[in-house]
Amino acid sequence: MSTAEYEDVSMMEADLAMTAATSARTEMETRDVSVWFGKRKVLEGVNIAFPKNTVTALIGPSGCGKSTFIRTLNRLHELIPTAALAGEVLYEGNDIYSPEVDPVHIRLKIGMVFQKPNPFPSMTIRGNVLSGLKLSGMKRPNHDDIVEQTLTAAGLWNEVKDRLNNAAGDLSGGQQQRLVIARSLAVNPSVLLMDEPCSALDPGSTLKIEETIRELSRDITIIIVTHNMQQAVRVADNTAFFLATDGNPGHVVEQGPTTEIFGNPQDQRTLDYVNGRFG
Amino acid sequence: MADVGAPELRDLQSAATSHRGDRVFNRTITAAAFVALLVLAGITIFLGAQAIPVLQTQGMDFLTTSIWDPPNYGIWGMLYGSLLLAVIALVIAVPASLLLSVFMVFLAPSGVAKVLTNLVDLMAAIPSVILGLWAFYVLAPVSEQWQQLLNQYLGWIPIFQNESGNFSGTPFTAGFVLAIMMIPIVTSVTREVLGRTPPELINASEALGCSLWTMLRYVALPYGRGGLVGGVMLGLGRALGETIAVFFVIKIAFDPVNYYNIIESGGGSVATLIVSKFGEASGPYETQLLLAAGFFLFMGTLAVNVIANLIVNRTGRLQS
Amino acid sequence: MSSTITFDAESLPRLEEQKPQTPWGRRTSRFRTVVILAVLIPAMVATMLFWFSAIAGPIIVVAIYLPLQIIAAVLAAVAVRGTKSAGDAVIIVSAIAATIFSLIVLVSVLWSIVTKGMQALSAAFIFQNNEYISPSTPLGYGGVGHAILGTVLIVSISALIAVPLGVMTAIYITEVRGRAVPYVRFFVQAMSGVPSVVAGLFILTVLILTGVLDNSAFAAGLAYSILMLPTVARTAEEVLKLVPDDLRTGALALGSTRARVVLRVVVPAAKTGIITAAILGVARVVGETAPLLLTALKNDKTVLNPFSEPISALPTYIFTNVAQPYPDAVIRAWGAALTLMVIVAVLFTLTRMLSTKRPGK
Repeated sequence: MSTAEYEDVSMMEADLAMTAATSARTEMETRDVSVWFGKRKVLEGVNIAFPKNTVTALIGPSGCGKSTFIRTLNRLHELIPTAALAGEVLYEGNDIYSPEVDPVHIRLKIGMVFQKPNPFPSMTIRGNVLSGLKLSGMKRPNHDDIVEQTLTAAGLWNEVKDRLNNAAGDLSGGQQQRLVIARSLAVNPSVLLMDEPCSALDPGSTLKIEETIRELSRDITIIIVTHNMQQAVRVADNTAFFLATDGNPGHVVEQGPTTEIFGNPQDQRTLDYVNGRFG
Repeated sequence: MADVGAPELRDLQSAATSHRGDRVFNRTITAAAFVALLVLAGITIFLGAQAIPVLQTQGMDFLTTSIWDPPNYGIWGMLYGSLLLAVIALVIAVPASLLLSVFMVFLAPSGVAKVLTNLVDLMAAIPSVILGLWAFYVLAPVSEQWQQLLNQYLGWIPIFQNESGNFSGTPFTAGFVLAIMMIPIVTSVTREVLGRTPPELINASEALGCSLWTMLRYVALPYGRGGLVGGVMLGLGRALGETIAVFFVIKIAFDPVNYYNIIESGGGSVATLIVSKFGEASGPYETQLLLAAGFFLFMGTLAVNVIANLIVNRTGRLQS
Repeated sequence: MSSTITFDAESLPRLEEQKPQTPWGRRTSRFRTVVILAVLIPAMVATMLFWFSAIAGPIIVVAIYLPLQIIAAVLAAVAVRGTKSAGDAVIIVSAIAATIFSLIVLVSVLWSIVTKGMQALSAAFIFQNNEYISPSTPLGYGGVGHAILGTVLIVSISALIAVPLGVMTAIYITEVRGRAVPYVRFFVQAMSGVPSVVAGLFILTVLILTGVLDNSAFAAGLAYSILMLPTVARTAEEVLKLVPDDLRTGALALGSTRARVVLRVVVPAAKTGIITAAILGVARVVGETAPLLLTALKNDKTVLNPFSEPISALPTYIFTNVAQPYPDAVIRAWGAALTLMVIVAVLFTLTRMLSTKRPGK
């Protein structure tokens, strides 16, 4: 962010002091991230810092590039053949796109939960939780403990502890999504990306997942894309508002503490959006 | 009002087709649709009718002995040969097809994959008689060389023993030709099945740090298992029934049955037996023997094909 | 802390200068070196052995080069990406090997057909028949004219039978939607597994041995139609399914009868697809040999009557000439194979061209 945005230097200093107080350090940060599909630029100049062990919500109307953005954070973006990117994505201070970096390492450290619950249908509940270890070749001892810990953290343990060897497909949609969260946790990530994790779920399941998110954020950094503004208010410490206007690439209009974005937005468009006037 | 039962359901289907022209149309179409059943039933009945007198005169020896020497006939060697050739073909074609489809679906750039798909389809379109011609003049000499080398270096393994020094007309070469016929058939199914792995499962695997190998091993192959098995069995059905391509490169031998010396001259299959003996059939009885052999061939391929389709259809429903 | 407006395109001209990049494609020089070595070393070892040792070529390729290349790829992968990527290295090398193997087979088949077949080709070969020709007659006299005619005659007969039946079967499945749909589908699938030699035997027992038909083009056409029907039915079913339902309901709403909807709306909308189905059916049978050996036999004369006489077709012509001890006869077989392959290739290309068009347009 540039100093020109601040009216005077003392305000900036106060801000910096507060940031330092609320979070020990920045875990992830993007610098001028722009994204293309083929010739089409879909995101421009995204600068967001994600402080450690906080929840950041990315909000904005459909098509503003939030989901695309979140996929650049763990290098899933590059799996789309026409994808391109500029700028830097820093994880613990290092650019995850530099050529020495192994994308597998990044994806293990930065886990992801998708919009639609996607447990592996050919595996059991237990198998799903441990699937990340198999898929990545990661060695962790005490599989039984991992299964219990992660399912407990995802708020699912009590519901499935007696049927760990049943097929994952037997679970309800909300349970499947929590299973998927447990699966992501089993490889011990420090950041968890969630791309509209509740959009396919009923209100009861949504509430459970939100509780889980709050619990998890004590130990890991969570970045969540959501369409649901109440959800952002309920779970997120910080919020970034994305917008794409008539054919222009999406960008971040405004970001900051969730209370500020919803209570005292600086930009008229943010005000309109959070008050439901469009989107 | 005691006789008023449940409200009568109106048959909308027949109401919709109550027009007279429509009834004629429907009946014609329905009749045509049952031609497939008619043909299958016809083959079973008419060839089966030829098999009964053969079994009466030859007894079960027709199926359990291996001889073609009037008045004794037994096709055990050919039945076994069909299986042996199919197994050799499967051993070569299944890994090759799977790897080829993995290359097309997960490794090749989409342009290359498209070209390969067309080439594989073209390969499937090559008539078997042409493949047989090629096998006889181009493959067989090369294959004899390979077999000599196999025998030289791996001759201590029983299947690569050869005592006659004659490497022509072997099950190996015939199975190899069958494998070449099977590869495009099996690949077109496996490519389709692997290509239908849901993107969300691939995404999930990638997000969990998979490698290509672990993704195939734990996600794509288990997911497409039914379709893959079905595809292989469709190829197997084709291999069991293939006649001409094998006919050119196998030396038909009844006795002794070549059980496992796959690079030893001599072998056979039911389908090639029919073509090779038909021209020289000495009379109606020998023709009847061949028809009976055809009946058992039909039963075998029908069973394989039905099982294959059941597997493919079941997984097709699961996926949709 | 207050929220901040973070983006203002005018104040950030540096974003204008950003170029789309694919950083995941960037490789370290170490990576490049390792990959080049992993490809070069096995190839060089194999080449050296090929030139300077007495080891047979196939042994070098299969027993030395391929394992060596797999080992090299595994080592390279481990060096660059760690032990977890060893499996990928094996799979990638084997997949490429399988692809190259299949391509070699395809090229070898096509190459031998073209080079050897061209030796036989001449106007006489295409247009003359094989009457008065013995296996030792030199090339330049006699040809496959009668066999081409035979193939055309037999395939036409089978198409006349199988295409209407196949399309009607498909209509039953997609339009009439009777109760027996799953069974009909099942029988069609089972029928597609009937070996060609069995189709020939069936016609032989039912119609020829009983004296109903002579060995003739018609008998062969019937045998071919058994093989053609399932292909036509399955393809036609696929294309009829692609006809949008709006067309059907629209026509029904205008007061059409069902029969008219199918015949005047659905089938015309799927016209190209149905033609494709017919061509695929023809391509499926055109090279089949075994049924002809059992039903049409062979004939060196040109036969035009489909009912009375044995008749040769291209596959039977190839079949009879393959194992002749006369080189010219063998060249004739290759010439016939080339002719047949050209027919197949034309049909193949036609289906590809037609299938790019969508139905109903």
